[in-house]
Amino acid sequence: MSVTVPIVHVVDDDASFLTAISRLLRANGFSVKTHASAHEFLAQRDADAPGCVLADLRMPQMDGLDLQSALAQSPNPLPILFLTGHGDIPSSVRAMRDGAEDFLEKRAPKEKLIDAVTRALARDSRERAARDRQRELRARFDTLTDRELEVLSHVVQGQLNKQIAWDLGIHERTVKLHRTAITTKLKVQSVAELTRLTQEASIFPEPVRTLPKGQ
Amino acid sequence: MSLITIIWSMSASACLALAGINILVWSRDRKAWANLLFSLAAIGTAAFAFCELGMMRAGTPAEFATVLKWGHVAVWLLIVSLVGFVRVYLRAGRPWLAWMVCGLRTLALVLNFLVGQNLNYLEITRLRHISFLGESVQIAEGVPNPWMLVGQLSFVSLVIFVADASITAWRRGDRHRALSAGGSILFFTLVGAGQSLLVFWGIVQVPIVASTSFTGLVAVMGYELSGEMIRASELGRKLQESEAGLHEIEARMRLAVEGADFGIWIRDLTRNGIWATDKWRALFGFPETEQLELDHILQRLHPDDRDAFRLVLEKATEGDGSYETEYRVLLPGGEVRWIGSRGRVEFDGAGKPILARGVSHDITGRKEAEQETQSLRQEIAHVGRVSMMGQLASALAHEINQPLGAILRNAEAAELFLEDKSPDLEEVRAILADIRTDDQRAGNVIDRMRGLLKRQNLDKRPVDVGQLVGEVAALVRSDAAARHVRLEWAVADDLPPVLGDPVHLQQVLLNLIVNGMDALDEASPADRRVSVTAALDGPKTVEIAVSDSGRGVPADKLTHIFDPFFTSKANGMGMGLPISRTIIEAHNGRLWAENRNEGGARFRFTLPIAEEDASK
Repeated sequence: MSVTVPIVHVVDDDASFLTAISRLLRANGFSVKTHASAHEFLAQRDADAPGCVLADLRMPQMDGLDLQSALAQSPNPLPILFLTGHGDIPSSVRAMRDGAEDFLEKRAPKEKLIDAVTRALARDSRERAARDRQRELRARFDTLTDRELEVLSHVVQGQLNKQIAWDLGIHERTVKLHRTAITTKLKVQSVAELTRLTQEASIFPEPVRTLPKGQ
Repeated sequence: MSLITIIWSMSASACLALAGINILVWSRDRKAWANLLFSLAAIGTAAFAFCELGMMRAGTPAEFATVLKWGHVAVWLLIVSLVGFVRVYLRAGRPWLAWMVCGLRTLALVLNFLVGQNLNYLEITRLRHISFLGESVQIAEGVPNPWMLVGQLSFVSLVIFVADASITAWRRGDRHRALSAGGSILFFTLVGAGQSLLVFWGIVQVPIVASTSFTGLVAVMGYELSGEMIRASELGRKLQESEAGLHEIEARMRLAVEGADFGIWIRDLTRNGIWATDKWRALFGFPETEQLELDHILQRLHPDDRDAFRLVLEKATEGDGSYETEYRVLLPGGEVRWIGSRGRVEFDGAGKPILARGVSHDITGRKEAEQETQSLRQEIAHVGRVSMMGQLASALAHEINQPLGAILRNAEAAELFLEDKSPDLEEVRAILADIRTDDQRAGNVIDRMRGLLKRQNLDKRPVDVGQLVGEVAALVRSDAAARHVRLEWAVADDLPPVLGDPVHLQQVLLNLIVNGMDALDEASPADRRVSVTAALDGPKTVEIAVSDSGRGVPADKLTHIFDPFFTSKANGMGMGLPISRTIIEAHNGRLWAENRNEGGARFRFTLPIAEEDASK
């Protein structure tokens, strides 16, 4: 869990604009990395590093929309902001529908640009934290054995040890041993906490979804 | 009144009545010779009946002889008429036999007046009363005239003649007539003549009653003829009915034809006569009385359509005969009318065209609507091109926004740097230099935009073909989509840059692609394709080709399409291709057109590749 500075990645085939915008962003206190093409950015990218992407919509070979879909495949997708010389509606609609943070004209007001970048970075940090938490939880659940997971699935449905033993065809004492192992491994104090964690980690997508969501 | 008087008078008057009816028939139809001859025979029979009556009631032998003498005139008339009737009615009988019968009878008539008291008696010596049909009648006694044999010979030859004629008719298949007419004539002649023969030779002592036999003969013949008349009148009625039917059909057809506004014409190819309905004449502006001739009709056709029409006619004569065509007619008033014509040529057994017929109708309304649609479509195409120009402008705006955006961001950054307590002036100086460069870039874009609209000196430099094609494709993409044209491009990998002015080359490519899309306006939506390919052509040349899946260029126009002001489009200037060729030639390249084997046209141009030392 390294606390690295988020980086604004600017991707544009126009070198002059690339330099100019990186100057402006740096002057506003952002860390900036420039890339002459989408390929170059994807090749150099540190997948874990936080940040956001500011990409020209129109580029030769791989354009902004292609970059967006390529980025969405990665485990750590960065929020993406589009820049364009002139807005064209179909592209912007598709971009926004696919989760683009914003869609800006190249000569958009500075404040709007800075706001958008700030917002994108905040979103990245928020999404990143949620992803990290989930990963951490999943790592904990990964320590459970298959039998323990089976017992857990019954526990979170509110079944008593006796019922679980009957359902699984094992001794009630064995169920108790499994429960102890689960709470130890997951470092939880109560059944309530166990249930919340299980939900948060989306361990059992189907049955858990039927329970009221606690957020 | 005595029974004899009644019978003889009645039979005589019946004969006269039949004679009257048939004379009437003959007077209406002078070709009805059978009726006339029958009438004469009936008159002869009637006359002889009166003579017989006169003989039975004669007071003196002389009176008896005179009546008998005049009775032979009636017999002559009867026999000659019978011969004629048989010839006409049975359409048979040997002429020489006919002449023989008539000759013998005439000879008998002559002898009747020259020898003895009459043909039958040299002298009637006395009259004798005998009882006949309950009455007392006179019969003659005297010296028979030996010349009577001539008359009897005439009867014999009549019988032979009729028998022969009947047999001929029978063999021919006219069995009914042979049996009824021939048979009855034979029967009654034999009976009548036989009875008088026995009387005159004094073998039997009865009055002469030959007229009753002949009356029977007349009755049978009259019956036959009336049957003919009934048949004729039935035939006439049927004819009338079918004629009425024909009139009805004609009237209906006329109604249909007029209702559909069709003009009908028929041309007799052997005599070169032309007949046409009034409607047709009205369509072509010919007065109803004018004699129609093909040359006149051709003269009325629009000069541009004349040859095509002639060709259609020729083809129809060579082919299966049917044709369908559309052409314009120049009316005498100067009005132009579109005519749709459909017809068929008919051939005789030897395959020689003999007749042509067809219908023509006014399709001016439809043609005008079509032309309106066409011009509307062209207007839409024009709007499409204008909007494409708008796209071009927006593409240039994109390009100009690039340096302007850089200038703005640089200026904003410089402001921020200068707010710093110890500003990095080196950085600010670099920013200002960049701003100057970007300003020049923006200026260049504007100049190029001007150059795109107005021809200018070429600014040659290495141009990446892939980029050139890609940019133009991006420009026309939405226009192509709106017109349902699939735009494909394939640029060979590792293609060296060509030497040229990118803006001008863009214009050429744009022009060729838009031309290609225009050529697809009438193509089926499933196959509307414009493809651009670029590949090396030899070591120093790149060839770019723009192909479409349209109808291609007519072979005789392939060279003319590069002539200034030559255009196939209603609103075309005819300048696109000549300008394009000029531009390509200014690049030391070539631009030409060809038709693809698989259909459609292909425009190809070459450009020299940029030499290493030529690129700075």
